[in-house]
Amino acid sequence: MERAAVASGYDVHQEQSREAQRQADRWMLPGAIMMTTAILGPIGFPLFLKGMSIQRKAALQGLSVRPMICTLLGYLVIMDSGLNSIGWSLDLVAHHSLINRTLVTAWGNMFDAGYYWHYNELWIGGTGAPGEKSWEIGLVPTVFCMRLAAAIGFLQMKRWGHQWLIVTCWFGVIYWVGYVANMTMFADLRYTGVVFPVIGWWIYDIFYITPFLAIPYLHTVNREIFSD
Amino acid sequence: MNDRHDKGIDAQDRRRKRALNAFQVLIYGYLFTMFLIQLHMYSVSDW
Repeated sequence: MERAAVASGYDVHQEQSREAQRQADRWMLPGAIMMTTAILGPIGFPLFLKGMSIQRKAALQGLSVRPMICTLLGYLVIMDSGLNSIGWSLDLVAHHSLINRTLVTAWGNMFDAGYYWHYNELWIGGTGAPGEKSWEIGLVPTVFCMRLAAAIGFLQMKRWGHQWLIVTCWFGVIYWVGYVANMTMFADLRYTGVVFPVIGWWIYDIFYITPFLAIPYLHTVNREIFSD
Repeated sequence: MNDRHDKGIDAQDRRRKRALNAFQVLIYGYLFTMFLIQLHMYSVSDW
Protein backbone atom coordinates (compact mmCIF):
# COMPACT_ATOMS: atom_id res chain seq x y z
CA MET A 1 0.00 0.00 0.00
CA GLU A 2 2.81 2.38 0.81
CA ARG A 3 4.37 1.80 -2.57
CA ALA A 4 1.18 2.94 -4.31
CA ALA A 5 1.32 6.31 -2.58
CA VAL A 6 4.77 7.11 -3.99
CA ALA A 7 4.68 9.05 -7.25
CA SER A 8 6.59 7.39 -10.08
CA GLY A 9 9.30 9.16 -12.06
CA TYR A 10 6.83 9.44 -14.92
CA ASP A 11 4.27 11.22 -12.73
CA VAL A 12 6.89 13.65 -11.48
CA HIS A 13 8.03 14.35 -15.04
CA GLN A 14 4.43 14.93 -16.16
CA GLU A 15 3.75 17.25 -13.24
CA GLN A 16 6.94 19.25 -13.83
CA SER A 17 6.15 19.50 -17.54
CA ARG A 18 2.63 20.74 -16.87
CA GLU A 19 3.90 23.29 -14.36
CA ALA A 20 6.61 24.56 -16.76
CA GLN A 21 4.05 24.93 -19.56
CA ARG A 22 1.63 26.74 -17.27
CA GLN A 23 4.38 29.09 -16.15
CA ALA A 24 5.37 29.86 -19.76
CA ASP A 25 1.74 30.47 -20.76
CA ARG A 26 1.29 32.81 -17.80
CA TRP A 27 3.74 35.17 -19.56
CA MET A 28 2.80 34.48 -23.15
CA LEU A 29 -0.99 34.83 -22.87
CA PRO A 30 -1.04 38.34 -21.34
CA GLY A 31 1.73 39.31 -23.77
CA ALA A 32 -0.32 38.12 -26.75
CA ILE A 33 -3.50 39.81 -25.49
CA MET A 34 -1.63 43.10 -25.04
CA MET A 35 -0.29 42.79 -28.58
CA THR A 36 -3.84 42.33 -29.93
CA THR A 37 -4.69 45.82 -28.67
CA ALA A 38 -1.96 47.22 -30.95
CA ILE A 39 -1.35 50.17 -28.59
CA LEU A 40 -0.03 47.97 -25.76
CA GLY A 41 2.01 45.89 -28.22
CA PRO A 42 5.41 47.26 -27.12
CA ILE A 43 4.64 46.09 -23.56
CA GLY A 44 3.20 42.74 -24.63
CA PHE A 45 6.07 41.70 -26.89
CA PRO A 46 8.75 41.36 -24.15
CA LEU A 47 6.28 39.47 -21.93
CA PHE A 48 5.68 37.06 -24.79
CA LEU A 49 9.43 36.60 -25.36
CA LYS A 50 9.93 35.88 -21.64
CA GLY A 51 7.29 33.12 -21.80
CA MET A 52 8.90 31.70 -24.93
CA SER A 53 12.27 31.57 -23.21
CA ILE A 54 10.73 29.73 -20.20
CA GLN A 55 9.19 27.17 -22.54
CA ARG A 56 12.44 26.73 -24.47
CA LYS A 57 14.43 26.19 -21.29
CA ALA A 58 11.90 23.59 -20.14
CA ALA A 59 12.17 21.77 -23.46
CA LEU A 60 15.99 21.80 -23.21
CA GLN A 61 15.72 20.29 -19.73
CA GLY A 62 13.82 17.39 -21.29
CA LEU A 63 10.34 18.29 -20.05
CA SER A 64 7.34 17.46 -22.27
CA VAL A 65 6.16 20.93 -23.24
CA ARG A 66 4.22 22.00 -26.33
CA PRO A 67 6.25 22.05 -29.59
CA MET A 68 7.48 25.59 -30.34
CA ILE A 69 5.79 25.62 -33.78
CA CYS A 70 2.40 24.93 -32.12
CA THR A 71 3.03 27.69 -29.58
CA LEU A 72 3.88 30.22 -32.27
CA LEU A 73 0.98 29.19 -34.50
CA GLY A 74 -1.58 29.24 -31.70
CA TYR A 75 -0.55 32.66 -30.43
CA LEU A 76 -0.27 34.03 -33.97
CA VAL A 77 -3.90 33.05 -34.56
CA ILE A 78 -4.97 34.58 -31.22
CA MET A 79 -3.31 37.82 -32.28
CA ASP A 80 -4.75 37.68 -35.79
CA SER A 81 -8.31 37.24 -34.56
CA GLY A 82 -7.80 39.74 -31.72
CA LEU A 83 -6.29 42.48 -33.88
CA ASN A 84 -8.97 42.13 -36.55
CA SER A 85 -11.75 41.99 -33.98
CA ILE A 86 -10.64 45.01 -31.99
CA GLY A 87 -10.18 47.28 -35.01
CA TRP A 88 -13.40 46.28 -36.68
CA SER A 89 -15.43 46.21 -33.44
CA LEU A 90 -14.34 49.77 -32.70
CA ASP A 91 -15.43 50.78 -36.17
CA LEU A 92 -18.71 48.87 -35.82
CA VAL A 93 -19.89 49.92 -32.37
CA ALA A 94 -17.56 52.69 -31.12
CA HIS A 95 -17.12 54.73 -34.30
CA HIS A 96 -17.77 58.03 -32.54
CA SER A 97 -15.35 57.46 -29.66
CA LEU A 98 -12.34 59.75 -29.54
CA ILE A 99 -9.80 56.91 -29.69
CA ASN A 100 -11.47 55.43 -32.75
CA ARG A 101 -11.79 58.72 -34.58
CA THR A 102 -8.12 59.45 -33.86
CA LEU A 103 -6.60 56.08 -34.70
CA VAL A 104 -8.85 54.89 -37.51
CA THR A 105 -9.01 58.10 -39.47
CA ALA A 106 -5.22 58.45 -39.13
CA TRP A 107 -4.92 54.94 -40.58
CA GLY A 108 -7.41 55.97 -43.30
CA ASN A 109 -5.37 59.05 -44.13
CA MET A 110 -2.17 57.04 -44.41
CA PHE A 111 -3.26 53.84 -46.16
CA ASP A 112 -6.94 53.33 -46.87
CA ALA A 113 -9.41 56.14 -47.55
CA GLY A 114 -12.20 53.65 -46.84
CA TYR A 115 -11.58 54.76 -43.26
CA TYR A 116 -11.45 58.47 -44.09
CA TRP A 117 -13.78 59.12 -47.02
CA HIS A 118 -17.34 59.81 -45.74
CA TYR A 119 -16.32 58.43 -42.35
CA ASN A 120 -19.25 58.20 -39.91
CA GLU A 121 -21.70 59.27 -42.61
CA LEU A 122 -23.48 55.93 -43.13
CA TRP A 123 -26.65 55.35 -41.07
CA ILE A 124 -24.66 52.83 -39.01
CA GLY A 125 -21.55 55.06 -38.67
CA GLY A 126 -17.95 54.06 -39.17
CA THR A 127 -16.33 53.31 -42.50
CA GLY A 128 -18.09 54.44 -45.65
CA ALA A 129 -16.21 52.12 -48.01
CA PRO A 130 -18.53 49.94 -50.14
CA GLY A 131 -18.75 46.44 -48.73
CA GLU A 132 -16.47 47.10 -45.76
CA LYS A 133 -19.27 47.21 -43.19
CA SER A 134 -20.66 43.89 -44.45
CA TRP A 135 -17.28 42.25 -43.85
CA GLU A 136 -17.24 43.61 -40.28
CA ILE A 137 -20.72 42.30 -39.52
CA GLY A 138 -20.07 39.03 -41.31
CA LEU A 139 -16.65 38.20 -39.88
CA VAL A 140 -16.25 39.58 -36.35
CA PRO A 141 -19.04 37.54 -34.67
CA THR A 142 -18.34 34.40 -36.72
CA VAL A 143 -14.91 33.50 -37.98
CA PHE A 144 -12.81 35.65 -35.65
CA CYS A 145 -14.63 34.29 -32.59
CA MET A 146 -14.22 30.74 -33.90
CA ARG A 147 -10.55 31.38 -34.58
CA LEU A 148 -9.96 32.62 -31.06
CA ALA A 149 -11.64 29.54 -29.58
CA ALA A 150 -9.81 27.24 -32.00
CA ALA A 151 -6.44 28.78 -31.12
CA ILE A 152 -7.06 28.26 -27.39
CA GLY A 153 -7.99 24.60 -28.03
CA PHE A 154 -4.93 24.24 -30.26
CA LEU A 155 -2.64 25.64 -27.56
CA GLN A 156 -4.12 23.10 -25.14
CA MET A 157 -3.18 20.45 -27.73
CA LYS A 158 -6.81 19.30 -28.09
CA ARG A 159 -7.97 17.44 -31.17
CA TRP A 160 -10.91 19.81 -31.69
CA GLY A 161 -8.53 22.78 -31.52
CA HIS A 162 -6.47 21.34 -34.34
CA GLN A 163 -9.56 20.54 -36.43
CA TRP A 164 -11.14 23.94 -35.91
CA LEU A 165 -7.89 25.71 -36.67
CA ILE A 166 -7.93 23.98 -40.06
CA VAL A 167 -11.56 25.00 -40.64
CA THR A 168 -10.99 28.63 -39.69
CA CYS A 169 -7.72 28.88 -41.63
CA TRP A 170 -9.67 27.88 -44.76
CA PHE A 171 -12.25 30.46 -43.74
CA GLY A 172 -9.29 32.86 -43.70
CA VAL A 173 -8.44 32.05 -47.30
CA ILE A 174 -12.03 32.69 -48.37
CA TYR A 175 -12.44 36.03 -46.65
CA TRP A 176 -8.99 37.23 -47.63
CA VAL A 177 -9.61 36.46 -51.31
CA GLY A 178 -13.02 38.16 -51.12
CA TYR A 179 -11.73 41.12 -49.14
CA VAL A 180 -8.78 41.77 -51.45
CA ALA A 181 -11.08 41.50 -54.49
CA ASN A 182 -13.48 44.00 -52.88
CA MET A 183 -10.66 46.43 -52.15
CA THR A 184 -9.44 46.16 -55.74
CA MET A 185 -12.94 46.75 -57.15
CA PHE A 186 -13.13 50.02 -55.22
CA ALA A 187 -9.41 50.85 -55.29
CA ASP A 188 -9.98 54.19 -57.06
CA LEU A 189 -11.91 55.58 -54.12
CA ARG A 190 -10.08 53.76 -51.33
CA TYR A 191 -6.61 54.89 -52.40
CA THR A 192 -7.43 58.42 -53.52
CA GLY A 193 -5.53 61.10 -51.68
CA VAL A 194 -3.87 58.77 -49.15
CA VAL A 195 -0.22 59.06 -48.21
CA PHE A 196 0.72 55.58 -49.53
CA PRO A 197 -1.64 54.70 -52.40
CA VAL A 198 -1.45 51.12 -53.77
CA ILE A 199 2.01 50.57 -52.29
CA GLY A 200 0.49 51.03 -48.81
CA TRP A 201 -2.11 48.43 -49.63
CA TRP A 202 0.69 46.09 -50.65
CA ILE A 203 2.63 46.69 -47.40
CA TYR A 204 -0.11 45.64 -45.03
CA ASP A 205 -2.12 43.18 -47.09
CA ILE A 206 0.77 40.80 -47.46
CA PHE A 207 0.87 40.25 -43.67
CA TYR A 208 -2.74 39.10 -43.63
CA ILE A 209 -1.61 36.00 -45.50
CA THR A 210 0.64 34.77 -42.68
CA PRO A 211 -2.05 33.17 -40.50
CA PHE A 212 -3.27 30.84 -43.18
CA LEU A 213 0.14 29.81 -44.45
CA ALA A 214 -0.18 27.32 -41.58
CA ILE A 215 -2.63 25.23 -43.64
CA PRO A 216 -0.08 22.81 -45.16
CA TYR A 217 1.45 22.27 -41.69
CA LEU A 218 -1.94 21.67 -40.07
CA HIS A 219 -2.89 19.12 -42.72
CA THR A 220 0.36 17.17 -42.48
CA VAL A 221 1.17 17.30 -38.75
CA ASN A 222 0.94 14.04 -36.83
CA ARG A 223 -2.58 14.18 -35.40
CA GLU A 224 -1.65 11.81 -32.58
CA ILE A 225 0.09 14.65 -30.71
CA PHE A 226 -3.37 16.18 -30.11
CA SER A 227 -5.53 14.58 -27.42
CA ASP A 228 -9.24 13.74 -27.72
CA MET B 1 14.70 12.69 -31.60
CA ASN B 2 15.86 9.80 -33.79
CA ASP B 3 12.38 9.65 -35.27
CA ARG B 4 13.09 12.93 -37.04
CA HIS B 5 15.51 11.14 -39.32
CA ASP B 6 13.15 8.32 -40.20
CA LYS B 7 12.28 8.05 -43.87
CA GLY B 8 8.58 8.54 -43.11
CA ILE B 9 9.18 11.91 -41.50
CA ASP B 10 11.45 13.04 -44.34
CA ALA B 11 8.82 12.13 -46.92
CA GLN B 12 6.21 13.94 -44.86
CA ASP B 13 8.43 17.03 -44.60
CA ARG B 14 8.93 17.00 -48.35
CA ARG B 15 5.20 16.76 -48.99
CA ARG B 16 4.57 19.57 -46.51
CA LYS B 17 7.13 21.83 -48.20
CA ARG B 18 5.71 21.08 -51.63
CA ALA B 19 2.18 21.86 -50.47
CA LEU B 20 3.38 25.09 -48.84
CA ASN B 21 5.18 26.15 -52.03
CA ALA B 22 2.17 25.43 -54.25
CA PHE B 23 -0.09 27.26 -51.82
CA GLN B 24 2.23 30.28 -51.68
CA VAL B 25 2.49 30.48 -55.49
CA LEU B 26 -1.31 30.51 -55.67
CA ILE B 27 -1.85 33.08 -52.91
CA TYR B 28 0.98 35.45 -53.85
CA GLY B 29 0.02 35.08 -57.51
CA TYR B 30 -3.48 36.23 -56.70
CA LEU B 31 -2.18 39.11 -54.58
CA PHE B 32 0.20 40.18 -57.36
CA THR B 33 -2.61 40.04 -59.94
CA MET B 34 -4.78 42.30 -57.80
CA PHE B 35 -1.79 44.62 -57.33
CA LEU B 36 -1.29 44.82 -61.12
CA ILE B 37 -5.00 45.61 -61.60
CA GLN B 38 -4.67 48.46 -59.09
CA LEU B 39 -1.51 49.77 -60.76
CA HIS B 40 -3.36 49.74 -64.08
CA MET B 41 -6.29 51.64 -62.52
CA TYR B 42 -3.80 54.09 -60.99
CA SER B 43 -2.09 54.69 -64.37
CA VAL B 44 -5.44 55.33 -66.09
CA SER B 45 -7.06 57.69 -63.61
CA ASP B 46 -4.05 59.06 -61.68
CA TRP B 47 -5.56 59.35 -58.24
